[in-house]
Order: sequence, then structure tokens, then C-alpha cells
Amino acid sequence: MTERRSVAIHVPVLARVEGEGALDLRIENGDIAELRLRIFEPPRFFEKFLEGRHYTEIPDMVARICGICPVAYQVTAAQSLEKLFGVELDPWAQAMRRVFYCGEWIQSHSLHIHLLAAPDFFGCGNAIELARIAPDEVRRGLRIQALGNELMDLFGARSVHPVGVRIGGFHGAPSLARIRDMQDKLRAALPEAEALIRWAARIQMPQDDQAFVSVAMRSPNAYAIETGDIAASDGLLIGADAFDGHFAERHEPHSTALFSHYRGQPYLVGPLARLNLNHDRLPERVKRLLDESGLALPSRNLFHSLLARAVEILLALHEALRLLDDYRMPDSPWVPVTPRAGVAVGCTEAPRGLLWHRYEMDEDGRVINARIVPPTSQNQARIEEDLRLSLLNFGLAHPDDALRLHCEKVIRNYDPCISCATHFLRLNVVRA
Amino acid sequence: MSPLRILGIGSPSGDDQAGWLVVDALLTLGVQTGGGCVIEKLDRPGANLISLLENASRVILIDAMQGDGPPGRIRRFDRKDWPNYNHGLSSHGLGVLDALSLAQGLASLPARLDLYGIEIGSARPGDEPGLEIQVAARQLARAVAAELDAPLSIRGI
Repeated sequence: MTERRSVAIHVPVLARVEGEGALDLRIENGDIAELRLRIFEPPRFFEKFLEGRHYTEIPDMVARICGICPVAYQVTAAQSLEKLFGVELDPWAQAMRRVFYCGEWIQSHSLHIHLLAAPDFFGCGNAIELARIAPDEVRRGLRIQALGNELMDLFGARSVHPVGVRIGGFHGAPSLARIRDMQDKLRAALPEAEALIRWAARIQMPQDDQAFVSVAMRSPNAYAIETGDIAASDGLLIGADAFDGHFAERHEPHSTALFSHYRGQPYLVGPLARLNLNHDRLPERVKRLLDESGLALPSRNLFHSLLARAVEILLALHEALRLLDDYRMPDSPWVPVTPRAGVAVGCTEAPRGLLWHRYEMDEDGRVINARIVPPTSQNQARIEEDLRLSLLNFGLAHPDDALRLHCEKVIRNYDPCISCATHFLRLNVVRA
Repeated sequence: MSPLRILGIGSPSGDDQAGWLVVDALLTLGVQTGGGCVIEKLDRPGANLISLLENASRVILIDAMQGDGPPGRIRRFDRKDWPNYNHGLSSHGLGVLDALSLAQGLASLPARLDLYGIEIGSARPGDEPGLEIQVAARQLARAVAAELDAPLSIRGI
């Protein structure tokens, strides 16, 4: 029988996402008449705060944008400015930036898998309920997360809003003894991360099949984290400088975050986009485990994002270990910097996806203007598109509570950080 | 494993330093790390608090709280007093009660957990803590130190 009722669903607060927003869903005559992901958290004006600031202040300031992915903001800013200033990092600093970044991927991904996303797939309302039925897995997740924090702390002096990065390298270098201790811990975590992948691969995920463009950085020889060009699944491969020529941001009246489009269409950034584009760059040991999991890539099911995060945790552990194997104390953890006027542009892969920065600098090294494009705002249009397709696939005749839960699952998959994007979920469903 | 772990939680924001002030006052009173006791300050530990609870047989946890009492009032909470957890966890904003509830779900709470709250007023970043908070921190430190010597004396709080 064709569904003809008209319904309005209002989700006033979406749990287990970051920031404040709402979802309005209006169903008329059995079809979606309106679906809007409203982001109403007030703008935070970070880009404006940066104006007039000296380049030396930028890494610490942008770290404050996010409590979970401060490294992404620091490293992106530092690399953008270093490129403009013609700074060539010491190979030590270049390698340790990647290790530092691995720490952030490990802690952010593990938190999202265990505290935010996984409860959805076990019929649990939150991680505390999940902890009662899967305590060993949650404990393992918290251990992995804590290790990621420790790795961030090693180079950043603290894991929340770290202060280790400076333009030209790092403020300090960890001692060999601390590195050896960290190597032991990373090695010990490898079997745990492998078990996490096997566990994640066994979770029954909803079946979904959607066509979308994946966008992620790509490097010639490695799984892109902090270096690489911007690639898309339709064959695009451009430098960070060319971002504006291919990606457009625009305001939508219902959101304080900007919507991004690529060739006029929504696109996906984040772990699944990265895995879709770069699975050939995984280390052999990670690739073997991924093959064992049975995940066919590229995947068109966004619910595979949880498994993608688990795969990236193992990758990050391997990468950190590989790079720390060659660890030596540097003559200096930083190189001198001379500012110059011009436009600094750069990007890296934050845990949630592509993060792009642009700074116009004056000759004294002060910011004239800044622009930051975070992953969540890039995913916002894709989330709306996904919600529409997922709901139609799920069936609109379901009760409001079931619709609401499905919408929340879809949204949490993206691990949106609304506060970063400014910012999440109330669902309003209207059936008329 | 440390049989006893004393954790003062805070942030560099005005009265929110209450937990740190208690640690400072305990150190002044001679309660030091060593001999089965670890005493430390934590800055918004989030989920990391759970691993610290797992490795102790007894934990004394001090944090700032905002309730309906005057700044400086000290409260001690039993597990039955913890408000029921009824909202979603957030990776960005995992609070002390969230972490304790999750630890409880994981059966990771220590055999004994003494949770103290000090009512605070303003928690503005960069501000000094109020005088009443400093006084309360010293008072709580004296009570904790005395209890560690004589377990029943804390009941005067």
C-alpha cells in the first residue's frame, strides 16, 4: 500500500555529535517535501580573531578551534605559512609532524567508534549501555584512545590544545627514552587495533548504496595524512592552491556553517573517502587485514565509515612506529623563519576529512585575512543528500521514533564536528 | 597499581581551579606522591579519567561544581547521589560524571571512590580563584589529610 500520510518530525537535540544543530523533516503524501540539516550554533569568528596576529601565534590560536583535532589545525596552518615563507623543514620535523598527526587520528577515531557510533549498531542508547554488553571492546577502545592522546602529548606537551608546533618545526624534541617507551606501547597496541578491525568488520551494518564523489588528499608513496594533493574519485588531482577553482562554499539560510560543493554537487570527505581513494597506499599488513574483512572498495555505503576509522587506526600505529624507528635527537627541532608577504595556502587530512587553510600575510608576518574550510562544512551538503537517500531506502512509513533514530545514525556516521564547522541535532518531522 | 590516587580536577579558569588548589594544599600539608599514594592535578581529563580509576583501589576525586549553594561550600557524593546519566556522550565534552558513569558501566570503579565537589562562582578563563574557594580548598585538604591519618575525622565536613 502506498504511504500517503503526511508527517513532520522534529529532532530537537541530536546526541553523540559535537555542537548544536537540528534536523527538520517534512513528509507530504508519502514523499520528502523538506529535509534541512539546520546548524544554528553561533559562528565563532575564529578567522576574524586571527586578523592582525603574528605568524608565531597562529599554531596555538588555531589549536583552540577544536578539542579533538587541534593537531590538524596546527599542522595545516604551519605548513601553509612555511610554504609561503620558503621554509624547508628538517626531515626530522617533517617526519615527527606525521607522527604527531597519527596520534590525533588514533584518539579521535577510537573515541568516535566506541563512544559515538558503535552504540547505534548494538541497539544501545549510549556508550554506557554498550559498555555493559561489550565491556572488553569498550575498554580496548579507551586504551587505544588514551595511547593516541599520549602520542599527541609527546610532541604537543598536552593532548588538548597542544602547544608543541611552531612555524619551522617543533618547540622541543622528546628524549630518546620517551620515544623508546612510546615505541613499546605502539607495538603492544598493534594486536588490539587488529582485533578492533575484526570486531568492526563483524558489526551488522545497514545496507545502503549511494553514488557520491569521494574527495581526499593523495600522496605518491604514502597514505595521505599531512601531505599530498587533493584528489577526487572522478579523476581530479590538484594542488591545494587550486582548491577555490574547483570547490565552492555558499551560505544556506538554515545553517551558520557554509555548504561546500564540487562541480555543483555535494561530495564526501573523511575516512571512507580516504580509504576509497587511497587503499592502494596502505601498508601490506593493513591491506591484508582489510582484505580479510571483506570490505569491497570503493564502498558506496557510508555505514562503512566505522570500519574505515578502525583501518586508519592500525595504519596510524604502523606509520608512527615506522617513523619512530629512525628517531634521532635533532640538532634543533626547528629552523629559523623569515616572514614574507603573500598568500599561504595548505591542506591536510583531519580525522573528519580534508581541512583547507588560506592566509593572506603582510610583510611583518601578520595575518591580513584568513579562511578555514573544515571537513564538517564540506560534508554538510552530502549529509543532507545521504539523509534523503537513506530515508527513502529505509522507508518513510516507519514510526517517527524509527525515522529519527535512522537519521541520527546517518548523521553520526560522518562524525560531524558542528562546533568546528560552526556548527548540531534537533529533528523536526512534519507529516502533512 | 597505586592503592591510593588523589585527583584534583580543574582548568585555568577562575574558581574552576578548586580541585587543583586542594592538591596544592595537600602537598603543603605533606601528603605526597609515594608509598602507595599518587597525587596529581588533571586538566579536564575526559575519558582518560577511566584508566586512572582502573589502576587504584581507592580514589579521592575533587572537582568544582555548580549547584544551588554558595561558592566555597563542600559536598561529598556517594554513588547513589550521582545524578542519573540521561544524555548522549560527546567526545568533545566528556565530563567527570560522564566518565564515572562509563567507568561504572565497565565495572572499572575502584573499590572506594570519594567524590568531593566544591561549589564555585565565576569560572572565567585567566581569572584568579575567589577567596572563598581558596579557603574551602584548604579546609577540604585538611579534612582529607586528617582522614588519611584517622579515617573517621572527615565526617565533620
